[in-house]
Amino acid sequence: MTAVECTDLHFRYPNGEEALRGVTMRIEEGESVGLIGPNGAGKSTILLHMNGILPERLSPTVSISIFGIPVDAPNLFRVRRLVGLLFPDPDDQLFCATVYEDVAFGPSQFGLPEAEVKALVEDSMKKVGLQGYEHRSPHHLSTGEKQRACLAGLVACQPKILALDEPTHGLDPRGKRQFKSLLQSIEATKIIATHDLELVVELCARSILLDEGVIVADGPTASLLSDEDLMNAHGLEKPHILKHLHPH
Amino acid sequence: MHIPDGFLDPKTIAATSAFSLVGVARALRDVTRRLAGWKIPLMGVTAAFVFVAQMLNFPVAGGTSGHFVGGVFVAVLLGPSAAVVVITVVLLVQCFLFADGGVFAIGANIFNMAIVSPIVGYSVYRIVSGILPKRYGNLVAIGVASWVSTVVAAICCTGELVWSGTVPWSIGFPAMAGIHMLIGFGEGLITMLVYAAIMRTRPDLVRPEDSGIIPGVVRPITNILIYGFLIIFGLALFVSPFASRWPDGLEKVAAMFGFASRALSERVVHSPIAEYKVPGIGSFSVATALAGVIGAITVFLLSFVLARFLTRSAAKNGSSSV
Amino acid sequence: MHSRFIGVPVGETTVIHRLPALAKVTVSCVVILTSILLPIGWGVAFVGIAALLSLVVFVSRTSLWFLFRNIVIVEPFVIMVGLSTLFQPDGGMRFASIALKSTLSLVTILLLSSTTPFEELLEVLRMMRIPAAMISIIALMFRYIFVFIGESGRMRTARQSRSFTQRTARSWVVLASVLGQLFLRSTVRAERIYTAMCARGWRSQ
Repeated sequence: MTAVECTDLHFRYPNGEEALRGVTMRIEEGESVGLIGPNGAGKSTILLHMNGILPERLSPTVSISIFGIPVDAPNLFRVRRLVGLLFPDPDDQLFCATVYEDVAFGPSQFGLPEAEVKALVEDSMKKVGLQGYEHRSPHHLSTGEKQRACLAGLVACQPKILALDEPTHGLDPRGKRQFKSLLQSIEATKIIATHDLELVVELCARSILLDEGVIVADGPTASLLSDEDLMNAHGLEKPHILKHLHPH
Repeated sequence: MHIPDGFLDPKTIAATSAFSLVGVARALRDVTRRLAGWKIPLMGVTAAFVFVAQMLNFPVAGGTSGHFVGGVFVAVLLGPSAAVVVITVVLLVQCFLFADGGVFAIGANIFNMAIVSPIVGYSVYRIVSGILPKRYGNLVAIGVASWVSTVVAAICCTGELVWSGTVPWSIGFPAMAGIHMLIGFGEGLITMLVYAAIMRTRPDLVRPEDSGIIPGVVRPITNILIYGFLIIFGLALFVSPFASRWPDGLEKVAAMFGFASRALSERVVHSPIAEYKVPGIGSFSVATALAGVIGAITVFLLSFVLARFLTRSAAKNGSSSV
Repeated sequence: MHSRFIGVPVGETTVIHRLPALAKVTVSCVVILTSILLPIGWGVAFVGIAALLSLVVFVSRTSLWFLFRNIVIVEPFVIMVGLSTLFQPDGGMRFASIALKSTLSLVTILLLSSTTPFEELLEVLRMMRIPAAMISIIALMFRYIFVFIGESGRMRTARQSRSFTQRTARSWVVLASVLGQLFLRSTVRAERIYTAMCARGWRSQ
């Protein structure tokens, strides 16, 4: 089933800046896709369209649909249950007084009964390795722990799609390794917008290269990221991890 | 100016709590109904800002320090109802977590610092900025408004203490009002500097017509009526019986509520200090009122000079017109 | 440094800490109200209250230094008001009464706040039917105080590293621009929080 279908998506910010100039893409259920490109390419903008945060005023004619459901005003609630969005700064999305409350936020907002919320929270926290952190305040956590807490908050909503914006930003190498294996263990369609190309190589079979609001390339990660000319032309570099592999 | 427990008597606690409840409920309703979608996080985050800002000490010569209260600042940038809500939240947290201000005095503290202070200040701001040219008008206005808000809150506070029989008016008023006239200078100065810093970076946020953060904040008439009524009634209850020259006013109030005994009112009125006259001027109270007028004019002039200086230096540095 | 109890570093938890918050809040309010309303002549009652508080201090292992420090940080305003009281006839009695009552109330609140975690206090507010909007605002405020303390500290250090004068005037300007920046950042952050809340299903009414 098609998880995300995007047809000729355009978007212009209120200050006039044109962020997306006709993006067309299709992501199937279960895929793991890396969204790469230089700063300002429009990666975050696309992610924000996936659960209807953008555009601020949803029009009836939509260019994007999630599992066949168009992302418009009446379907917003349904779509947000299906798409779990991870933002770059964990301090922006860990906004409750304790970790438990934060992880429970999503399920409670979606109207689940208290007993079920509790079970989901316990389960998610176990999955990310944060058992015992329930009553800790977010400002006591390390960056890695905060990221895991954010992920727990998403997982608790049981989304079918995980859209992650710079998930390994600010993590040390061990934190990155832990987070990567955590992501691998979660079953969902994954779309990862990131500068961390090593992460893309290890987690994403497919990559989409975005620059100046258009898709420049879309294909298997290994061949796309090995193409040095392509990488350099769009402000990126061929990742070290591939420098030892021969391109197919 | 946080009043601790034990300084107010039951009738004052009851009256101030009632006023505060009405005012805060109104403000909350106003904020949640009319402002943009992100109002709840905005209020929360602004309250945290005010709290942290109050922690920063501005060193003043002689080892003392001034500090930033922020009621008028928030009112100008986010609207008066938002200021009421934000300062109330700050006071609640200060009271229950830091024992700053009494539990049963919270009604009085909210009335003085979260309702009277920002609303009177905001009104002054609107008036002054309306008169002066836009280029520096709102800077001057914010300086004057901050000073006024501090002094008015102090007067209200004094009134409550006097009504409780804790302090005689003849001592309390000159002392409290006098000190807060000085503190008000610091508040005005700090608020102007912070506001100017914001004007320099984000001039689009401080357009005089509306508070740019929440566009289109226009207070409906009912708000003005409710806030106005609360403040006027509060001042009438707490301040005017004492400010009036005739002790009968106090006795009438006391008799009306039947709480204070005749003995109390007699003692307060006949205290020796009350009869002391400042040579050439009259009682301390009159001297204080006079000082207030002079203070207000001084604040206005100082704010004017500072505002011109700040806007001229900003223009010289090539930033867009504020 | 801090734990879930704001202000006081708590290593162990005692019986007092584990009591339900509603009980503690109710008892605290009753104690304070009683102190305020008791006529000063009823010395025995005050001794009783002081004894109760001492017991709680002992059982909860609250540091006496912590209590002392917080009592002594009295605003000049309080001192001034207290002193003004003395100018009244029988002012000495009045002053003593106020000092006693406010100290007992202060200790009660300090004990409450140092033995009750913040989220439990919020729960009590919820039970008192305080509007949900207000509760969210208080919770968010608490959460972000620490973030802002960190941010303002870093900004101040960065600014001070770039200024070479020790003049008071300059430090006012530095502080003012730190506050200005902090405010702007906080509004941007508020919008991002709102976005994060909406993404997880929050609907603003």
